[in-house]
Amino acid sequence: MRFSIAGVDSLIIYFGDKIDEEITRKVKKAYLSLKALNLEGLIEIIPSYTSIFIQFDIFKYDYKSLKNLLKNSVNLNIKDDSEEKIITIDVYYGLETGFDLQKISLEKSLTISEIIQIHTSKIYDVYAIGFLPAFAYLVSVDEKIATARLSTPRTLIPKGSVGIADNQTAVYPQNSPGGWNIIGKTALELFDKNIESLSIFEVGNKVKFNSISKEEFLFQGGIL
Amino acid sequence: MSLELINNPFFVTLQDRGRFSYAHLGVTNSGVMDEYAYFIANKLLENSLDTNVLEIGCSNVIFKVNKNTTFCLTGADCEFFINDKPKKLWQNYEVKKNDIIKIGKILSGNWLYLAVYGGFLIEKEFGSNSTTVKENLGGITGTRLKKGDFLPFNKSRKINKKFLKKEFIPKYEDELTLRVLLSYQYENFPKEEIKKFFSSSYMVTKDFNRMGCKLQRKAIKCDINGIISEGIAFGSIQIPPDGQPIVLLKERQTLGGYPKIGTVLNIDCFKLAQAKANTKVNFQEISYLEALAKNREFYSSLFFVNNLSKISLDS
Repeated sequence: MRFSIAGVDSLIIYFGDKIDEEITRKVKKAYLSLKALNLEGLIEIIPSYTSIFIQFDIFKYDYKSLKNLLKNSVNLNIKDDSEEKIITIDVYYGLETGFDLQKISLEKSLTISEIIQIHTSKIYDVYAIGFLPAFAYLVSVDEKIATARLSTPRTLIPKGSVGIADNQTAVYPQNSPGGWNIIGKTALELFDKNIESLSIFEVGNKVKFNSISKEEFLFQGGIL
Repeated sequence: MSLELINNPFFVTLQDRGRFSYAHLGVTNSGVMDEYAYFIANKLLENSLDTNVLEIGCSNVIFKVNKNTTFCLTGADCEFFINDKPKKLWQNYEVKKNDIIKIGKILSGNWLYLAVYGGFLIEKEFGSNSTTVKENLGGITGTRLKKGDFLPFNKSRKINKKFLKKEFIPKYEDELTLRVLLSYQYENFPKEEIKKFFSSSYMVTKDFNRMGCKLQRKAIKCDINGIISEGIAFGSIQIPPDGQPIVLLKERQTLGGYPKIGTVLNIDCFKLAQAKANTKVNFQEISYLEALAKNREFYSSLFFVNNLSKISLDS
C-alpha cells in the first residue's frame, strides 16, 4: 500500500500501477475491510482500479494520523463473499440499438452474431464505478472485439446503451454524451432511486450479459 | 408560505453543502460553489449551517413573497431591490406577503446565495437538496428552477437585524492567489515544470462551470500522459495533454484519468468560484500542516463561533 496526499481533507491509497485482476482483488478486499471498520469521520471512500480515495473529517484526522491508522488496520486478508454474486443484464443486440455493431463487424471481420456470442460468453468484473451514477467499468472484453473509443464522441448516447472501449465494457445508466462503441441496449434500470443501494453494482461484483430478442426487450419495457 | 419565481432565470438551483457518501456509486458531491457566502447567509438568519439556499448564477431574477419571512442575499455583488428600493447584500431583511425581490445585474463575482429563515421545505434526495442537473438529482425536479416554481418555507420567528461587517465582505478582484498543496502525481512532473507552474500567471477562461475551471497560459508538461482513473478531490488540478490546468470543483466527476499536480486549498476554491473570465491567477505552494491549520481555522470560526466579527475570509 502506497499512500499519497489527495487534498487537505483526503488521501489516496495505491495498490499497484496497472489494471490487473490481482490488484483489483486487493483494492476490493481493502475496501471491504475499510467498510467493516466503520470508522467515524470518513466522508467518502471511492475504490477504483488500483486505488482507494478517502475523504475525511479534518476535525477528526489529518493525513498522517489517518495514514497510520489505516496502515495498521486495513486487512487485505478479509473474507470476500461477494464474488459469488453475478448480475445478469439482458441486452438486445440489434442494429437499431447497437449503432456500432456493423462498424465493429467490418473492422474485426466478425459476423454480428459472433460479436454477440463473444460479448455474452464472458463474466466481467466491476473494476470501478464513476463518470455517471452507476456507470460501472467492466473488465475485460475479449481481445477479438476490443475496440478503441470513437474519435469524435456522440453528443447523446441513450440510457441503457451497452458500449465497448478497448478492453472495457459498460452500460450507460442515463442519457449522456460519450465515446464508447455501442453494441446494444438493456431495459434494466441501473441507477434506481427506489432501491436502497441506489445502484445495482458495487465494485467487485461480477456481471454477465444475456442476448434477448427485440420482442423480449420491448416486453421488458425497452425503448428502441 | 413560499417564494415564487416569477421570471425564467438562466441559472438558479437549490443547493446545500452537498451530497456525501454516494461518490463510490459515481454520484458527485455537488453543493454550493462558494461556502463562505453560503455559511454567512445562514449565519445572518440564525439557520443551522447546512440549511439549503438558492444559488443564483445569473442576472435578472425576480421572486414574489407569498408569506412574511426573513431572508438575505450574499455572494456576488449585484443590483438588488425589494419593491424597487435598492438594498444591500450581506444583511437580513424582513419581507411581507406580495413583496417583490429583484436581483438585477451581477456587478462582480459569479454566484449569489438567497437564504430564508429555516430554509426551503423541499425533500432531500440522498441526504441533500443540492441540485446536480446532469444527474437529475436534488432541487425540486432535479433541474434548474423555472418560472412558476414555488419554494415553500416555515413561518419565521423574529430575528434581530444582522449584517456582516464591511471588512469581512469579500471583494472579487481581478487577481487571485490560490494556495496549492502538492498532491497525487506531482512527482511525475519534472522539477522545472513545477517551478514554472508556481511562477507563472494563469487566466481564468470562459470554460468554467460547476464542474471545474479551465485556466490558460503556460502549458505544463508531465512525464506521463494519462493515469488509471482514480477518485478526485475537491480542488485538484488536472493537467490534460494540452498542459492547461483545470481546477475541479463541486460538480466534478468522481473519477478521473488525467495526472494531477496539486490541489487548491478548499477555502481558496471558494474565491476561485467567484472569479470572472480573464481573472489573473497565481499559484502558491503551501505545506500540508499549514493548509490543515488554515482549513481548520476557517471552518471552526464558522461552526463554533457565533460572533460574526470573528469570521475572516483571509483566515
